[in-house]
Amino acid sequence: MRTKLCTTAVGLAGALLFTVGCSGATSGSGGATVDPAKLKLSDTTSKASGAATTVNWIVEQEPASLDMDAQGGSSTRTVMANICERLLLLRPDMTTTPRLAKKAEYTGDKKLVLTLRDDVTFHDGAKMTADDVVWSLKRHARPEMNESDEYEDVDTIAKTGPSEVTITFEKPSALFTKALAGDAGIIMERKAVEKQGDDFGTPGHPDACTGPYKLKSWDSGSALTIERYADYWDDGVRPLTKEVVFRWASGSALVNSISTGAADGAYLTATGPAAVLSKKKGIRAYYGQSTTAWSLSPTKSGALKDARLRKALSLAMDRKGIAKSGFNGLAEPWATPVGPGAWGYEKAAFQKAQKDLEHNGAYTASPSSDDIERAKKLVEQAGAPGEPIVVSSDGSESQTVITNAVRGAAQKIGLKVTVKTIASSRYDEFFSDPKSRDGFDLIPVDWYISKADPAGFYDNGLTGNANNWLGYSDKGYDALVGKAQQTIDDRKRAELVIDAQAKFADDAVWIPLVQVPSVMVLGDKYTGPPASMVSMYYPWAADLGTKKG
Amino acid sequence: MIRGLPRRIAGLLATLLAASFVIFAAVYAAPGDPAVLLSGSRQELTPEKLAAVRAEHHLDDPLVVQYGRWLWDGLQGDLGRSFQYRDHVADLIGARLPTTLELVAYATVFFVVLGVGSGVLAAVRRGWVDSAVVGGTTLAASVPAFVAAIALVSLFGVRLGWFPVTGQGEGLTGRLHHLTLPAFALALSALAVISRVTRQAMAEAYASDHVEAARASGQTERQIVVRHVLRNALGPIVTMCGLVMAGMLAGTVVVETAFGLSGVGSLLVSAITTHDFPVTQAVLLLMVIGYVVVTTLVDLVHPLIDPRVAPGGTPGRKPEGKTA
Repeated sequence: MRTKLCTTAVGLAGALLFTVGCSGATSGSGGATVDPAKLKLSDTTSKASGAATTVNWIVEQEPASLDMDAQGGSSTRTVMANICERLLLLRPDMTTTPRLAKKAEYTGDKKLVLTLRDDVTFHDGAKMTADDVVWSLKRHARPEMNESDEYEDVDTIAKTGPSEVTITFEKPSALFTKALAGDAGIIMERKAVEKQGDDFGTPGHPDACTGPYKLKSWDSGSALTIERYADYWDDGVRPLTKEVVFRWASGSALVNSISTGAADGAYLTATGPAAVLSKKKGIRAYYGQSTTAWSLSPTKSGALKDARLRKALSLAMDRKGIAKSGFNGLAEPWATPVGPGAWGYEKAAFQKAQKDLEHNGAYTASPSSDDIERAKKLVEQAGAPGEPIVVSSDGSESQTVITNAVRGAAQKIGLKVTVKTIASSRYDEFFSDPKSRDGFDLIPVDWYISKADPAGFYDNGLTGNANNWLGYSDKGYDALVGKAQQTIDDRKRAELVIDAQAKFADDAVWIPLVQVPSVMVLGDKYTGPPASMVSMYYPWAADLGTKKG
Repeated sequence: MIRGLPRRIAGLLATLLAASFVIFAAVYAAPGDPAVLLSGSRQELTPEKLAAVRAEHHLDDPLVVQYGRWLWDGLQGDLGRSFQYRDHVADLIGARLPTTLELVAYATVFFVVLGVGSGVLAAVRRGWVDSAVVGGTTLAASVPAFVAAIALVSLFGVRLGWFPVTGQGEGLTGRLHHLTLPAFALALSALAVISRVTRQAMAEAYASDHVEAARASGQTERQIVVRHVLRNALGPIVTMCGLVMAGMLAGTVVVETAFGLSGVGSLLVSAITTHDFPVTQAVLLLMVIGYVVVTTLVDLVHPLIDPRVAPGGTPGRKPEGKTA
């Protein structure tokens, strides 16, 4: 008996040693890469036809609160997209369409009239009223709330009919309707929210929305379950899946859950797990459009104030290399600081503009000897700075690869670079405290915009904007962006945005690197949900089902 | 023992008060602005919004005022609401504490049974068994918990599919099934320590005079081991088990993260990274309480097992007086 115990212990130790040596496949990142050329982007997956009782889904973090005004975050959005609906709907192809509002029309350029559907009910059965809509919008607009920045130009919000709400603006706001398809357009039942008070959004309390699923239960720390809302007001939407159970894990725990079938699917933000999972049997990875892109944001503290040096550095960057080694091949060299998911209108025009940028200016996918020569000349003209350029890195895989690529590029063209590694909490401070950026000349930034409109990004280059770390100031650029944001006509706005974008690229206000698609992994049995970034705003679970009916 | 109780409780309270202030000040001084982390995504950061968030959470008040407010509310049984989760801190901890306690309890069973068992075995069967145990435990002690976790998941979870790889499971059997691998990963290095301590304590007890005397009186080897050697060695073994278990209460983070378990360890990590003062404060204090309570219990139990150790730390009866 005793001897047996002992041999088991020794045997186990041996097994441990053996598996430590070969457990790389489950460690979450590294190893597998996907050939960027074979990466197919698809916004949707094929339609589901069979019913499913329970589908297990993984999100990367437990939602902090289900009150979307208080807390955002991609995990919470992925869950709540199925529960809460907006006045307008963002579709998988990133275009918008009416939803709780059957019409949203500008009358004059400073007045938006919303005509509401009158057949909508909340999850407790109460009818949605214009008062609920006015109250919800005013709640979003409160300064401490997540979406308050979307309401900066709003002057008044008022009920102007039994099913009509009118919003007036201080100046025309072309992006406001796009925001209404995001979290700024969520409509909640006033009575239900006010009754719960401070407890609204915490575990053990019902939701106050209208979507095809409602919150069934949330056991703090372990799981959150949503179930099909039996009395859903839209007969055109018939969810095949009865309930979705969300659990949370990241890194190797996430990979293991999906590989062993403990979870059926997940939307991923990191490319490491995606690359590993796409090679596993019984699991499919789908790649869709997103607005996420990685760029380098220069600051005004060092030599990069000189546009010639920024352009030189940009010309020498090996973007293909970054895509391959920093993102497992799941990223694509990119000439603008927002991904193609932002093109919610005039797609062809934006696509052409992106291609144009790839053939001139300061962009290379991987630099040729000509590019390096051009870059060297620019450095000569500007005069190589005495002090090295300081690049920050938070030590993550992506940032390490990017900063190494900067070092490599700089070396080729006669610039000196120092990489300073910082804590990730310190990294977040760059975005709020200008003093924290002192001593850093170049900061890698991953940026996504919640609206499918590139105009929503380019205000980052405006004179005096908080995210304009370079202190870039150009009257022509300011005028273009200002005008674009006030131009309600999509075609005309696209033209203005494209002009502003060209100026932004030409002056290398930021140095764009790669765009990162949205990734969904799904067990073989299931199909239906979209693969694009719309998963944070569109009720994707309503499309989820099995392949066979 | 009862006489010393008020003194012990006063000591516990003083420890907690001091610990609470140190923890509060440390979280306050840590780099990073909680308002930024509470404000949602980067594109939404405006000075007005940051000011509104600071005001809502009283982040502009001086350290002493914030600590005083926390202490006052805490004394009235209100640990506040989490910055990050907005839920009551007590509810957040209440939902996660069982997982961590079960994990530690399960791990304790592992390391006590296997650790003491292998230690006894090594002490009783000298020769190759002893060498094997010493070798095995040296190996086990050198494997960090996260490596053990990855290896166990890889072998028993992913390759063989015997155990689930994430989550805490439901019902008693579900719990046991889900927590077996995490508990083993957590227990592995502790098991080695306990095995060593047991082996050493037994060896010392073997060498004592009364064992010789017992042997001379004709008792069987089995009786000698159980009645004399093990009994005399029990003091240090129990003390060590208690200390290791108390240490585990604060050390489950790595294993919880590796196995996707929602316990207080992973709650603490996310609270620290998001500057969630109320949660960090409460979880760390809970860990301090856990440590103090377990070590106090060990102190109290020790004299019962080994009467040579008198309560209060004063020398007790001489060992000679105790031999059978």
